[in-house]
Amino acid sequence: MGIIFKKLNRFLLILILMGTGIIAERVGLIEYVIDPNEYPFIIIFFWQHLILVVYSMAIATIIGLAVGIILTRKRFKKIAGVVMYIISLGQTIPSLAVLALAMSFLGIGTKPAIFALIIYSILPIARNTLAGIIAVPPYLVNAAKGMGMPAWRILLEIELPNATSVILTGFRVAMIINIGTAALAFLIGAGGLGDLIFSGISLMRTEQLLAGAIPVTFMALVADFLCEILGLLIVSKGLRLASEH
Amino acid sequence: MIKYDSVTKIFGVGKEAVTALDNINFTIKKGEIVVFLGPSGCGKTTTMRLTNKLDTITRGSISINGESIAEINEVKLRQRMGYVIQEIGLFPNKTIAQNIAVVPRLLGWPRHKINNRVDELLHMTNLEPGLYRNRYPAELSGGQQQRVGVARGLAADPEIMLMDEPFGAIDPINREQIQDEFLRVQSKIKKTIAFVSHDIHEAIKMGDKIALFDNGKLIQYDVPEVILTRPKNKFVADFVGADRALKVLGLMRVSEVTNFKPQNIIAGTDNAQTAHKFLEENDFRYGIVVDNNKPLGYVTLKNLKYENGLVIDVVENYPHFEEKSSSLRDVLSYMLMHTLMTFCVVDDNGDFIGTVSYNDIQRAVKKSYSDEAEKDWKEV
Ligand SMILES: Nc1ncnc2c1ncn2[C@@H]1O[C@H](COP(=O)(O)OP(=O)(O)OP(=O)(O)O)[C@@H](O)[C@H]1O
Ligand SMILES: [Mg+2]
Repeated sequence: MGIIFKKLNRFLLILILMGTGIIAERVGLIEYVIDPNEYPFIIIFFWQHLILVVYSMAIATIIGLAVGIILTRKRFKKIAGVVMYIISLGQTIPSLAVLALAMSFLGIGTKPAIFALIIYSILPIARNTLAGIIAVPPYLVNAAKGMGMPAWRILLEIELPNATSVILTGFRVAMIINIGTAALAFLIGAGGLGDLIFSGISLMRTEQLLAGAIPVTFMALVADFLCEILGLLIVSKGLRLASEH
Repeated sequence: MIKYDSVTKIFGVGKEAVTALDNINFTIKKGEIVVFLGPSGCGKTTTMRLTNKLDTITRGSISINGESIAEINEVKLRQRMGYVIQEIGLFPNKTIAQNIAVVPRLLGWPRHKINNRVDELLHMTNLEPGLYRNRYPAELSGGQQQRVGVARGLAADPEIMLMDEPFGAIDPINREQIQDEFLRVQSKIKKTIAFVSHDIHEAIKMGDKIALFDNGKLIQYDVPEVILTRPKNKFVADFVGADRALKVLGLMRVSEVTNFKPQNIIAGTDNAQTAHKFLEENDFRYGIVVDNNKPLGYVTLKNLKYENGLVIDVVENYPHFEEKSSSLRDVLSYMLMHTLMTFCVVDDNGDFIGTVSYNDIQRAVKKSYSDEAEKDWKEV
């Protein structure tokens, strides 16, 4: 049964690929992509998009982790609720408004775009860091403390490793949101694949729209896959075994 | 040595204040196991957490070898004390070796020394190092995890061990075994140990002394025999249970009541009629048959009466022989099971060294209680 299903799956996949190929040909996508006047732009937009995502994610991760960690320290536990609420407000503002806001004091270009993307990506990371660390069983921390582990080591050796998979889920969500939102960055002059998509829409050129949309989707899928791999690399085998039980 | 001097712990303030410990005074001597015993919420864990400064003392002081813990840096203090928590608390993200190595690493031991120590401890706790070193806690049974928990506490060879119900998660059969193992280890390493338990059997078995708590007060602090034979008040008597005479027996060894020179010994090669005459003349109801220092069994007058051959032809076997170190509780149980009033005591080679009888046991129990009664009287 399983084997038949697998074969069928593969067959369907081939069918879909062929179908997409035919559609791509029909709408003129292939022609567009190999056009020497067009494809350098696709590559440039792709790079712009990638750079927006990588930079903003790197900074958002640092800030998100820091906020999450600080809010789980004894001294700040009391204000954790309030701070998370404020951060989550950032998420409820529509992405366009955040971009507009960023532009209003950072001008146009890459800088405000990255700034807006950071604001947008901090929440899932901070929230999951907080939740992940809180979910570490208190007796583990108690044991570590009772054995004479200093607080910073408890954080690095016990709390963070045991919270890694939850944090990673937050990171993944942030990354997907980020890649999608970065498509709006062209509105404030930061370029990216959004340029192709939106001009494709306004010019009613399907092939141009697809030349932007497909790489964005591709980027999101690859990012998701990389997160999966990252999980295998940084989540301790002991924890994966424990969750299987 | 750990000295508790008028230790009081109050959690919370004002109306919500809870007195968890109320003016506790006692001393754990070097090399001793003291079991903290008592009903839930009586303050056992709190006493332990005050000792390694996980909680702070409200009034009074605790000192270690004469030095008040208030003067000692808390991280340094904890690294000097092995800590085994009730929940086992192995770190799931670390391998068994890494778990055991936590404190040695904190202390900055060189790597090869840590590795040797890990293997040594795994051996000691009956876990094959080659097999278990690189496993994760999730791959071990509860009992194995608990062993690792104890090994982790012992890792840096601390002078003091704080063990909060270290064998709580193990089923009764394996618990007996791990307790025996631990006592064997302790007889070599001679740590000063505070050991929390809520199980009176465990307390009697493991404790050189028992500290019995109730509602934040230390009710009685004494060796197990005294707790059992001379409970200070009704609470203690109820806590140790109505079967405390049996528990006293559990503490006594066969060697304490062995009759090393029984008179009713006959040889297997004796003529049955001669033996019959010997027993009858000395007013013995039965004889113990010993050949070449090995106990063969016993014969009764009835067995011998109509037998013309040798004693060995009518000998009845003992279902079981006792060792000097067996507990009297077990012996009594065998007596009840086999309706036999006497058993032979043998040494490691199976050679006969004496007998243990029901009457001897009864006399010993009576004596342990009357000794205490006498002491009572003198103190008054
Ligand atoms: N952090 C705390 N805040 C307030 N009260 C506490 C705290 N820790 C312990 N207590 C109280 O102190 C008393 C003693 O608690 P403790 O944990 O020492 O009991 P225990 O003897 O270890 O009980 P158990 O056998 O159930 O583990 C209890 O009444 C408990 O409710
Ligand atoms: Mg407790």
